[in-house]
Amino acid sequence: MIGWLSVLAALLAQVMVVNRLPLPAGGAPDLVLLTVIAAAWTRGPSSGAVLGFFAGLLADVMPPSAHLVGQNAFVYALVGYLAGRGIGGPVPTVVLCVLLAPLATAGVGALMSDPRVTMPMLSTQVPVTIVYTLLVSPVVVWLATRSRQVRFLT
Amino acid sequence: MRDSRRGRLVLGVLLSVALVALTIDHRAGESSPLRQLRTAGATVLGTVQQFGVGVVRPVGAFVQSILDAPSAQRRIDALQKENAELRASLVAGRLDAGRAKELERLLGLTRDKGYKVVTANVVARRGLPGFEDSVQIDVGSADGVQPEMTVLNGDGLVGRVLYTSPHSSTVLLISDLASAVGARLEGDKEIGVVHGVGENGRLVQFRLLDSTAPLSRGGRIVSFGSKDGKPYAPGVPIGIIERVEATPGELTRIAYARPYADLTALDVVGVVVAAPTREDREAVAPKVAPKKEKQR
Repeated sequence: MIGWLSVLAALLAQVMVVNRLPLPAGGAPDLVLLTVIAAAWTRGPSSGAVLGFFAGLLADVMPPSAHLVGQNAFVYALVGYLAGRGIGGPVPTVVLCVLLAPLATAGVGALMSDPRVTMPMLSTQVPVTIVYTLLVSPVVVWLATRSRQVRFLT
Repeated sequence: MRDSRRGRLVLGVLLSVALVALTIDHRAGESSPLRQLRTAGATVLGTVQQFGVGVVRPVGAFVQSILDAPSAQRRIDALQKENAELRASLVAGRLDAGRAKELERLLGLTRDKGYKVVTANVVARRGLPGFEDSVQIDVGSADGVQPEMTVLNGDGLVGRVLYTSPHSSTVLLISDLASAVGARLEGDKEIGVVHGVGENGRLVQFRLLDSTAPLSRGGRIVSFGSKDGKPYAPGVPIGIIERVEATPGELTRIAYARPYADLTALDVVGVVVAAPTREDREAVAPKVAPKKEKQR
């Protein structure tokens, strides 16, 4: 329940606050992705994938949206599964998922011949987003591991 | 590995469902059954955003003021200089005629020319990772907004309405890579197309259809009219040319223009909900060389 609420909160914060900040180099951290990773990390692969799928579906219908429904659902389901499975410790998991998500989004977009997926986009915008997301990720990892410890204690 | 077989099965099913949804949405286009899902989402979440924006706006303004601090001093200087200039021109009594005419030419759109504009606030923005540039505004079909309407602000063209729900609408910005706007050079009326190139709206690409027409830095681009002013009303200023690309051997010429509207810091925008009557039309486009106007 907490996972779902935090995903919804992250989505709203993403479109209402984070994306509207004029940060240097023109990018923004992807809070939703980090929240999905963190929530899936504490839940395991299958429920992580389910959580990721519905988080992505919510991100697809969250206004404003000008892309096809299912794009984020695909990517976040994949990320949720990987994060839930875990690839050797929290740090490699987060880094791999953060690197994978924009590339998978671009891949799905390219599959649907989306005109927005272009080489300059991949070479300039995507790295900026990845860097911002990685910069914010320690906070999320800390929150995730903390909440897990709390759950084990109680 | 925790229950990896079941996990793999769940993942496979979910990915297939996502791909099926993508395919349906892609192929069905306007009549997509998923459109209803999207409309429902826009109605519910758009309402949440409208309530939330009152809370987050002061926070956003605070952060923005910190981020803008280095340029604020320069801006103050520039504004003070501009203020002095304005005061001087007021004293000299030459403000009205010259400046008013220039502003009118620049804006091209005023209320007394028959355009009806509904003002709106931007409540949410989408950038990466969806690869799209769109914003959510707090007016919708209840306020008379329909898809394919022009959105502008005090400086220039912002984009067009993509979807509407009763109390909010989605606006595709001109910086989106999928956006194309018919445009013309203000001076000699040469027509072309403005494409978004991403880059957060710092630049847009202007493709001039006539490769022999003069194209130079500082040229102003205004929108090219469409039927009934949809999706773009004619004569709205789009941007100013910053850089002309050398394209030898091509049929079109390419320039990069800086949009007048600051697309990274959008707040108050207007939606053109009604075009002027036929007779008023002529007055909307900047008043230069009417004889060429008829051919196009």
